[in-house]
Amino acid sequence: MKLQVIKQRNLWWAISAAVILAGIASMVISWQQFGAPLRPSLDFVGGTRFQVELDCTRSDCGKPIDLAAVRSVLVEQGLGNSSVQETINQDRRGISIRSSPLSPEQRSRLQTALSEKIGPFDPATTRIDTVGPVIGQQILSSGLLALLVAFAGITVYLSLRFQLDYAIFALVALLHDVLVTVGIFSILGLVFGIEVDSLFIVALLTIVGFSVNDTVVIYDRIRETIALNSDRSIDDIVDTAVNQTLARSINTTLTTLLPLISIFLFGGETLKFFALALIIGFIAGVYSSIFIASTLLALWRERTEKVAPVSAGDLAVTDPPQKSDEAL
Amino acid sequence: MQRQRSLLALILVLLIAAIVVIVRIPPRLGLDLRGGSQLTVQVKTTEEVPEITSREMDAVQRVIEDRLNPQGVSEIVVQSAGNDQILVQLPGVNDPKEAEELLGRVAKLEFRKQKPGTEAQLQAEYRVLKELQLQQESLIKGNDQKAIEENKAAIQRSNAAIANLFEPTGLTGENLKDAFPQSTTSQTTWEVGLRFDTKGAALFADLTKNLAGTGRSIGIFLDNELISAPTVGPEFAQTGITGGSAVVTGNFTAQSATTLATQLYGGALPVPVEVVETRTVGATLGQDSIQSSIYAGVGGLVLVLTFMVLYYRLPGVIADISLIIYALLTFAAFNLLGVTLTLPGIAGFILSIGMAVDANVLIFERTREELRAGKTLYRSVEAGFYRAFSSILDSNVTTLIACGALAYLGTSFVRGFAVTLSVGVLTSMFTALTCSRTLLLFVLSFSALRKPGYFCPNLSSTQPQPEATP
Repeated sequence: MKLQVIKQRNLWWAISAAVILAGIASMVISWQQFGAPLRPSLDFVGGTRFQVELDCTRSDCGKPIDLAAVRSVLVEQGLGNSSVQETINQDRRGISIRSSPLSPEQRSRLQTALSEKIGPFDPATTRIDTVGPVIGQQILSSGLLALLVAFAGITVYLSLRFQLDYAIFALVALLHDVLVTVGIFSILGLVFGIEVDSLFIVALLTIVGFSVNDTVVIYDRIRETIALNSDRSIDDIVDTAVNQTLARSINTTLTTLLPLISIFLFGGETLKFFALALIIGFIAGVYSSIFIASTLLALWRERTEKVAPVSAGDLAVTDPPQKSDEAL
Repeated sequence: MQRQRSLLALILVLLIAAIVVIVRIPPRLGLDLRGGSQLTVQVKTTEEVPEITSREMDAVQRVIEDRLNPQGVSEIVVQSAGNDQILVQLPGVNDPKEAEELLGRVAKLEFRKQKPGTEAQLQAEYRVLKELQLQQESLIKGNDQKAIEENKAAIQRSNAAIANLFEPTGLTGENLKDAFPQSTTSQTTWEVGLRFDTKGAALFADLTKNLAGTGRSIGIFLDNELISAPTVGPEFAQTGITGGSAVVTGNFTAQSATTLATQLYGGALPVPVEVVETRTVGATLGQDSIQSSIYAGVGGLVLVLTFMVLYYRLPGVIADISLIIYALLTFAAFNLLGVTLTLPGIAGFILSIGMAVDANVLIFERTREELRAGKTLYRSVEAGFYRAFSSILDSNVTTLIACGALAYLGTSFVRGFAVTLSVGVLTSMFTALTCSRTLLLFVLSFSALRKPGYFCPNLSSTQPQPEATP
């Protein structure tokens, strides 16, 4: 099997463009709905998430919780605009309420009122998060800053180890991965109400760190092939390099995805969407390395080499000596 | 061969050390796993203190620690986060309300003067208050919310009644420079030393001169609550206590002297704080998520290990052994470095195992290529390691760059993730390049295992495969 990445590049670009455009469209729609490109969680907008489970030894866990009663309690407390969801975790029934930020007094009043109405809660399963809007801004801005610093660091490193144009196309591939992940999460937010929290920013950074690996491996091969056969056309070289590293790309992505998929399916609630973001990002990452970074590099070299055909020769200097039988 | 033997010995020693560390030093679990509360406290500027410096941060941190320690929560963590925030972790605390109230308020320390003719009344009111406070302690154990609230209101009324017996003097915590416990000259009891600034010294001299020998006391109030009521001896009636220093004596033990000094000094803090974030996780919830995530992660890893053996054959087995060594070494490194394991941290760990496979895959793919090109087995293995090195280095460095950005700019738990992932990446470089290589070359020293088919299935058998090692 030989993949024709260069010949079919318009197809690969179209697939990426379609996914990214759909994501952007969804971001525009969600901007109109929630004032943000993705459905933001508490971490970013501030508020209180109040999650309790019934104490089954003292209350009836058999029948569903009366959500109307919960809502009436909320209205009594002046928290009518909060959202309520029932949660079921291994036969334990509970509720999850998201409201504006509550003071300690408001929160304990709510807790008392709720347990009077629907039964005693088990304090060991309670989860209460209150985040002020300031913190959300901080998480967001420090996260975005970290993302920019990571981009800059990776670009500088790659332009030192390879060349500037390699680094730029690697950056394009990274932006592609980030856009695909953000876009798909925006769609998930619109369709299934999935929210992004601060772990999502961690996921994006991990994606950036990881998916550049595939690009580097292919670049390494392209550089090596150019050094060995400087007379072959760049299209041919890129095609060969991609195919030579294909088994590796698929296998390493697979081995990384296996634990992630298993965390997504069976892991705890907190890590579920973190794992999903990584799964999407890593798939986008291996795709962009094979089909985007390499094809763009080939197109660019093809165009510029007609003007300056010597550039491939310079590469041999930076290459390691080919004494492959020596020990490390 | 000699070098290989010593490397093999080194790996064995590291492995044993890692197992000892894992058994001896238990991992530190984050609050999201063991249950508890985490609060972020914002330190605010005031007109007097327009900028928060590390001095203010240290002071606030100390005050928070001192205020929380008497609460009887074990393993409290108080650390600064960023330039003007303090992170407080209270393991096992399911209701952060008390801590939040304690942290959120600005303690105000005041020295007041007892009104004439109230001596008997003060004695009586003080006894009532003590009784109510004792009652409160037993009520809290009984967990009757309603009674607790009622008693609390009574305590507040009692406090207000006491406060009513005193009048302000203008001497406040702002004038107090220091307060410290010290043992008396006889070494048997304790007392609390005070130091005032110039303005405070004058006010204090005035106050003590006024009260000396009258039997009326100085009311030291923290947030309108009387925390101490020392009297002044008649020998100071002429000038008052001058010089800006004073000693509060009484029936102090080392502990009670420390508590009072802390309260006094804490009250002297000029900057207000506000709780801007609280996160509370119940103990069971943490247990649930740790368990399911670990099961899921281990399940995924077993799949990875199986895949490696099925696809890469003998080298796959070697890779699996290195991966297990990797996991043990990394986990030991976490425990040794005192990394707090949080849920994202565990995800970072599981992820790093998936990524550690990457180096092995790169090496084995290269080895296969060399074999297909007709090289001998030994040379192919060597070439695989040599040629894959630059890819492994570059890809790991880029991951480390992203980790660095996260660790440097991220918030606390993000930092935990970045640290675990970087420790993982560094260890994986070692295990992939050293462990896998040494083990593989060791395996190659057995002639029975020196079959190219064990390394690369479907290798075209038309080419003769020389078996000699160099």
